[in-house]
Amino acid sequence: MTGTEIALIGAALAVGLAGIGSAIGVGIVGQSASGLVTEDPDKFGQTLLLQALPGTQGIYGLLAGFIIMQNIGIIGDELLVLTVPQGYAFLMASIPIAIVGLVSGIYQGRVSASAVGLVAKRPEELGKGIVYAVMVETYAVLALLATIMLLFGIPL
Amino acid sequence: MPIIEMKKVFLLGHRQERENIFNVLHDLGSLEMLDIKSSEAWDDFEALVEPEHAGEALSETEAALSELRYCLDFLQRYYPVKKSFVEQFTGGKLDLSESDFKDYIARLDQVREVYDSCHGAEEKMARIRNEETQTKNLIEELEPWSDLSVPLEELGRGSFTIMGLYTVPVDNLGSLQASLTEKAPNHYFDQISSGTDYVYFFFAGLTEEEQDRQEIFKENTVSAVSFSDMTGTASENIERQYKKAEELKSERETVLKEIEALLEHRPMLMACYDYISNEVQKHEAVTYLARTENSFLLEGWIPAPGLSDIEQAVEEKTETAVLTSRDPEPGENVPVLLHNQGPVEAYEVVTKLYSTPKRSEIDPTPYMAPFFFVFFGICLSDAGYGIILSLMAIYVSRKLKLEGMGKQLIYLLFLGGISAFIFGILFGGYFGDLIKLPPLWFNPLDEPMRMLFYCFGIGLFHVYFGMAVQAYRNIKAGQPMSAVYDQGFWFIFLNGLIMMMALPELASVGQWLAVAGGAGLVLSQGRHQSGIVMKFMSGLLSLYNITGYLSDVLSYSRLLALGLASIVIATAINAMSEMVGGTIIGSVIMVLVLLGGHAFNIIISTLSSYVHTSRLQYIEFFSKFFEGGGKAFKPFRAQTSYVDITKSESN
Repeated sequence: MTGTEIALIGAALAVGLAGIGSAIGVGIVGQSASGLVTEDPDKFGQTLLLQALPGTQGIYGLLAGFIIMQNIGIIGDELLVLTVPQGYAFLMASIPIAIVGLVSGIYQGRVSASAVGLVAKRPEELGKGIVYAVMVETYAVLALLATIMLLFGIPL
Repeated sequence: MPIIEMKKVFLLGHRQERENIFNVLHDLGSLEMLDIKSSEAWDDFEALVEPEHAGEALSETEAALSELRYCLDFLQRYYPVKKSFVEQFTGGKLDLSESDFKDYIARLDQVREVYDSCHGAEEKMARIRNEETQTKNLIEELEPWSDLSVPLEELGRGSFTIMGLYTVPVDNLGSLQASLTEKAPNHYFDQISSGTDYVYFFFAGLTEEEQDRQEIFKENTVSAVSFSDMTGTASENIERQYKKAEELKSERETVLKEIEALLEHRPMLMACYDYISNEVQKHEAVTYLARTENSFLLEGWIPAPGLSDIEQAVEEKTETAVLTSRDPEPGENVPVLLHNQGPVEAYEVVTKLYSTPKRSEIDPTPYMAPFFFVFFGICLSDAGYGIILSLMAIYVSRKLKLEGMGKQLIYLLFLGGISAFIFGILFGGYFGDLIKLPPLWFNPLDEPMRMLFYCFGIGLFHVYFGMAVQAYRNIKAGQPMSAVYDQGFWFIFLNGLIMMMALPELASVGQWLAVAGGAGLVLSQGRHQSGIVMKFMSGLLSLYNITGYLSDVLSYSRLLALGLASIVIATAINAMSEMVGGTIIGSVIMVLVLLGGHAFNIIISTLSSYVHTSRLQYIEFFSKFFEGGGKAFKPFRAQTSYVDITKSESN
């Protein structure tokens, strides 16, 4: 495999795994939100907010993938020819957001789904439900930060 | 003063004037009533009090309320009032002028009538639904027999023959026919139709062979089908049922029209509902009073600035009532009402979503507000997005009448937009890189390490600020030494460590500071323990809290990450739109991609800016000095679920 191909695996992992995490997370919240909305359709707005929370991991993954694509020239001017070590550097840099995005997306989905239950009984406590979910997202943000710093640090 | 002073008031009045006084207090809406039974003075009153309950009047009004509830729910089911996305958060109530509201209330006696109509309509709908299912089922049952030419009423047992309709599983058809020809040959078998599982057939046979036939039928799991009370052929009956279904459909439409006609009463119902629910509230408040045969005593809290108003109102509008007030006594659970001036008020919503401050605490809102403003801006950090967010906030606040927390939240987003605009200019973000202007300061995308360094710096300042607030509280509470031990030593210790690690030229000074601060902590943090060993051990263990401070400060790296995220996503949208540009269709798609993409990014980035900025306040900042858990002030006042009443100027 050439370096460019290895770097592209990195981009694919970042977008794919973090996206899977978000998809599962958003799916879990959507299921419990639909249950609540059958009883109380006016809660749609609040539950949609909760459902959006685990969606960010996918965006972070896409972001990392996009930076890789831009750095190696898939988007933009011309495709760089990477050495194999450079390719591996890109692959490694994408690992934090790929793995943490996958797992934290799922767990954030679970927390948000419980927050749907919280909103069902006490709609005024939406803020606290969000804070619990955001506690999980912290680690996705940190992983994204690590990935970004690594990507910016790769010498080309 | 962000937390308003409260006064405890006692109001003594004559029984006959009770309702009048309640109305006066309800209109003023500035007094929180206390249940006198939970008061310390209850023991003195208990013997005096007449054991009257809110009683019959209450149950009557509650019945009226449930009728209204029923009507509104019923209408909502068939003709729902649609709420827009924003209204789902803010309520979206019906706007009424005060005189309109009074007109609607005057029609309260019509409620019974509307209720009966609703009830009648619901019964009709239920009957129609029932009959519709019946016809649908009948049609399904009759369908396989539509080719049968024998009228249904002629089926059955005659003196010599039996005619009937039967079904047999498809697999058993062969064996059935074989056994029939063998054992009961005198019969007529006519297959009418066949489905995937069953064959439907008409069968006529002699009565004398019935015994054998029953056995054969049983063996082949044949079951008889009967249609009682039907005349004519199956297809005629199907047609009849279809006609009936048509009739039911038109009947349903008539009933729906009837319900639609009831809709004109909906504003009246809403107004009455809110009126009655407030009446119920007043009736329930009666149970809070201490009552004798001819007098009552009311106990409550009122914000100090509202005291003169209530004194004046009581004096003017009542004859017998006497109002006294006093300052809260220590140990009393005083409710808390926040009051901040100007833009800071917007940030009350952040505090309230966490917890109402305790009476003894300071309101963290004014300390948190500037940090919230700055952090939000750094997270969004795009001038274009900032302008759009502010404009959206202005639009929403113009279009919807917002109250309380909804209003504060929109104001907060408006300020957030301004902050994002400022940081957008500093960092050079205008819809990502759509408008290419050089940053006024520097671009975090080019120098992420520099930005990270600043984020840690601002985070450290935030944490120190929280510690300073706690030190201030300690000093104010008369414990200046606690401020030195718990905040001062940490401050010295942390600064020493930072100098050692980050500033090589000050490392030697830092070393001594760290040692001094650390020693101070070891010696002071165990002061609540007994015994020298325990004191020393828990002092030593307290140094472990350094990890807490470390993770607090590292947590501010999210400012960089979220700022980069919103910029890079915007850049990605721009790059994608550029790829499709060129032709005419391409340009149209390009514009669509730009509009849709940036709208999406504004929503997502605003959401994460808000939640992560809140988190930095709650977890990193509040934990230094703020506990919460206070009781929010809940005044006795008109509360509405359906209508918003605009007070007219005339009174």
